[in-house]
Amino acid sequence: MSTPSPLASARRSTELGLVVMAGAITAAAYTVASLGKNAEIPPIILPFLGVTLGLLVVASIATRILARGADPTLLPLAALLHGIGYVMITRLDDRLAGLQTTWTFIAIAAYVVVLFVVQRTTDLAHQTWWFFAIGATLLVLPIVPGIGRSFGGARIWVSIGPINFQPGEFAKIFLALFFAGYLAERRELIATNTWRIGFLRLPEPRHLLPIVFAWGFSVVVMVGLRDLGASLLFFALFVVMLWVATERTSFLVIGVFLFAGAAYIAWRLFDNVQTRVAIWLDPWPQYEGRGYQIVQAMFALSNGGIEGTGLGLGSPNKIPEVKNDFIFAAIGEELGLFGATAVLIAFVLIIGAGYRIAIRADRPFEKILATGLTTIIGLQAFIIVGGVIRVVPLTGITLPFVSYGGSSLLANYILLALLMRISDSSARRLGEVPDDLTIGERFEARRAARLARREAKRAGRIGRGDPAGAAR
Amino acid sequence: MNARIRRLAVGMLVCYLALFVQLNVLQVGREEELSSDPRNDRQTIRDFNRPRGEILSADGVVLAFSEPVTSPNAELEYQRVYPTGALFGNITGYHTFNFGSTQLERVHSDVLAGTTSAQQLKALSNLFSGQDVSGSVVLTMRADVQMVAREALKDPRTGLEREGSVVVMDPRTGAVIAMYSSPPYDPNLVVVPSSQEAADVLEFLNNFPGKPLLANTYQERYMPGSSFKVITTGIALENGVVSLDRAWPSEREWVPPQTTDPIQNYGGSSCGGSLVEVFFRSCNIPFAQMAVELGPERMVAGTKAWGIGERIPIDLPGSVASSFGEVEDFTDQLPLLAIGGFGQGNDVMVPLHMAMVAATVANGGVMMAPHVVDVTRYHDDTVLERTRPQVWKTPISPSTAATLNTLMVGVVNRGTGRTMQLDGGIQAAAKTGTAQLNNTGEEERSHAWIIGFAPAEAPRYAIAVMLKGTNAEISASTGGQLAGPIAKTVLDHLFRTEALAAATPPAPAAPAAPTEPTESTSSAGGTP
Repeated sequence: MSTPSPLASARRSTELGLVVMAGAITAAAYTVASLGKNAEIPPIILPFLGVTLGLLVVASIATRILARGADPTLLPLAALLHGIGYVMITRLDDRLAGLQTTWTFIAIAAYVVVLFVVQRTTDLAHQTWWFFAIGATLLVLPIVPGIGRSFGGARIWVSIGPINFQPGEFAKIFLALFFAGYLAERRELIATNTWRIGFLRLPEPRHLLPIVFAWGFSVVVMVGLRDLGASLLFFALFVVMLWVATERTSFLVIGVFLFAGAAYIAWRLFDNVQTRVAIWLDPWPQYEGRGYQIVQAMFALSNGGIEGTGLGLGSPNKIPEVKNDFIFAAIGEELGLFGATAVLIAFVLIIGAGYRIAIRADRPFEKILATGLTTIIGLQAFIIVGGVIRVVPLTGITLPFVSYGGSSLLANYILLALLMRISDSSARRLGEVPDDLTIGERFEARRAARLARREAKRAGRIGRGDPAGAAR
Repeated sequence: MNARIRRLAVGMLVCYLALFVQLNVLQVGREEELSSDPRNDRQTIRDFNRPRGEILSADGVVLAFSEPVTSPNAELEYQRVYPTGALFGNITGYHTFNFGSTQLERVHSDVLAGTTSAQQLKALSNLFSGQDVSGSVVLTMRADVQMVAREALKDPRTGLEREGSVVVMDPRTGAVIAMYSSPPYDPNLVVVPSSQEAADVLEFLNNFPGKPLLANTYQERYMPGSSFKVITTGIALENGVVSLDRAWPSEREWVPPQTTDPIQNYGGSSCGGSLVEVFFRSCNIPFAQMAVELGPERMVAGTKAWGIGERIPIDLPGSVASSFGEVEDFTDQLPLLAIGGFGQGNDVMVPLHMAMVAATVANGGVMMAPHVVDVTRYHDDTVLERTRPQVWKTPISPSTAATLNTLMVGVVNRGTGRTMQLDGGIQAAAKTGTAQLNNTGEEERSHAWIIGFAPAEAPRYAIAVMLKGTNAEISASTGGQLAGPIAKTVLDHLFRTEALAAATPPAPAAPAAPTEPTESTSSAGGTP
């Protein structure tokens, strides 16, 4: 079917080997957490774990078929984070094992489907406004009466029948797609200053306004939903994409000032924001109240020390919401500084691989999209880990691939599939792997050939029956 | 765009560097501070969620163990249980979730939890077998002797326990065989799951008269009365101030220097004779004169040689120091020195220390450091650490010790300590004490003491019994009358069980025939 390529099979074998290693680490962690004095995980969860690890291998095999030139490190890194997160979640609450396995199945399926449907990045480049429409709809979904739900102060959930999900997790991908498409098309127009207000030189408003509108809309909606972590992520994401696309530092500067202004206004308007900043600066006076969670996280981390208490031997369940936003504290407690550092390094490697994909990409759309997607993962992990360990004020958001939750897992695997697609696309363009026809294109080609043969056959019949016609 | 993307990557790396730095600060830099925060109970939770080892008496009685909690909604997986109740309360202490740990539960917490480095190292080999690694602590103390001591402290007529102390030790090693304080407390009442209930119990115990939470055997001090004469005589003999040849005229009163107030003998009687005689009759005047003859310097130096003024070096927390006074307290206060010579005035002694004083005489002048822990063990009962007998002080020469031995035998055979004459013709040696707490003219209040050892020719047990002068009945009696019978009961029990153990074949051990840990310890450690 496809042209053999030693480099592609080498990449995929590397990937499979690394995925198996990530699986081995996960299995070892599971073994420790389920046996003897550490026993926090009942042994009946073993099948769930087997399915989860099997699914990751399936993802690697699907990549071999659908994106064989793609970067070989992304999937194993995601698998490692996913595995550590899975063991930690089941250790925190073993009833979640089955659910999280179901979500893993859906997430991996989505990964494969995205790789299958999106075979060329060009398929995405021209759907710009559709992506905005979808992203915007997803954003406002939680406001819709009847299906919108709020948990823990933030109205970010949607319940349709038995299914609960956080549309914001998906909105960020669609909005990144929208921005990449829009900026790839008009980045030069935006970058040229033709419009002057006093000493300020600005781009034509008609090029800039749509994007500012989209940006403002998203941020206002997120703030309105009290989803501060997501607001912060969107804000930074758009500034970064705009800056990279236009190569104009002034956007970065304006972005920083806008952020400062917005932060100040939010601080004045919302008690919530004030409390969070106060807790960030000094959580101890509010130990009995809002500061409890973060102080408990600090206690957990100190309890872990350098080598950790060992899986199953800490008390991470003393931290409220530990399996979602605070899972990093649980990892720090039970796996110690070593484990927590390993998780952070996995994120750094994902970021590195993501930006390398962006740099290797040729088409502006691919470059901007890869930059945006990588920034989403990197920033999201930074915002929540930084919030947990008090580097930045705490804003609730999930830790990609690690936290419990289907929406987050699903969204991040979709994001991963898009990065893989861009990476594969560059490999083809650079001639590292043969630029074979995609399945869709082969189908198209076969149909075209069939049509051509039919045409030719008809022409031949006509020709045989009517020599004069053939001569015509 | 590539330059921007690289810069973005560098910016992101800087963000993550901040995370790494802060992570190190929290997990390494501030680990101590955060772990020791009283609101951080993770360490305690960890301890309570795994089995904790047993504390056992020398005769194999379980004094403390952890019981798995069966109740499904219990917060903690294990509950500490003290099967002997109040009998060993002041020795085991308690191990609570909210109020910390005391005594052995505190000192040997790491061993019991299995977290000493030696235990962790040994556990490494069976990391995955999930074995319980908790260690155990075996005492030199015997539950049977402790029980006999408690019974003996009961008032024979009312059956109520009297406040006081019984300390029995092996003079050759310092191994404590029994150490019972009354009033005791039951640690089971403190380790209840309800934190409020535990707080109430602790408050009640703190306010209870007689302070049950403090072991009066080693955490309190009492005026020793005439039992202190052993020390005074020891110092005088060491300094050549007296000898067995010395004799004192029979006197009713003696006026020490710097005063006109005379010193009297007990009950105002006329008392005198040879050293042996004044010792077994417990005259006061000769010992007051000894102290004055020695003078403040030699007397104070002598008491320090006996370890007075230093915290008792027992392997339990919170022990206190006996006290006699400093040279400058006596230079212009010779009458105070005089009455100090027979255990009155400023003298206060820890009951355990008085047992050690008797043990020193019994051990040829060598005072061993007391200890209650014989051995700590790994989970598989192999030895983690065995307590080695250690010399604490050598206040007197063997010849002085021999002289004091003779004097104390006289007390049992002919003097105030005849109540301590033992069954089976075993020769005991003793010195009684009746510490008068009241000033002349006030209502009489006195502690009753006896210290001693047996068998006098090759002592294996030293004992100190003290009854607090809490009621008129105790106060109206002497150490010989009250404390002597208690000491006799305990020592008789010890020799009876020894004889039974010798008579019974070792295999089916009768409950009353416990193994003799003191014997094995002494042969292992040797007598210096």
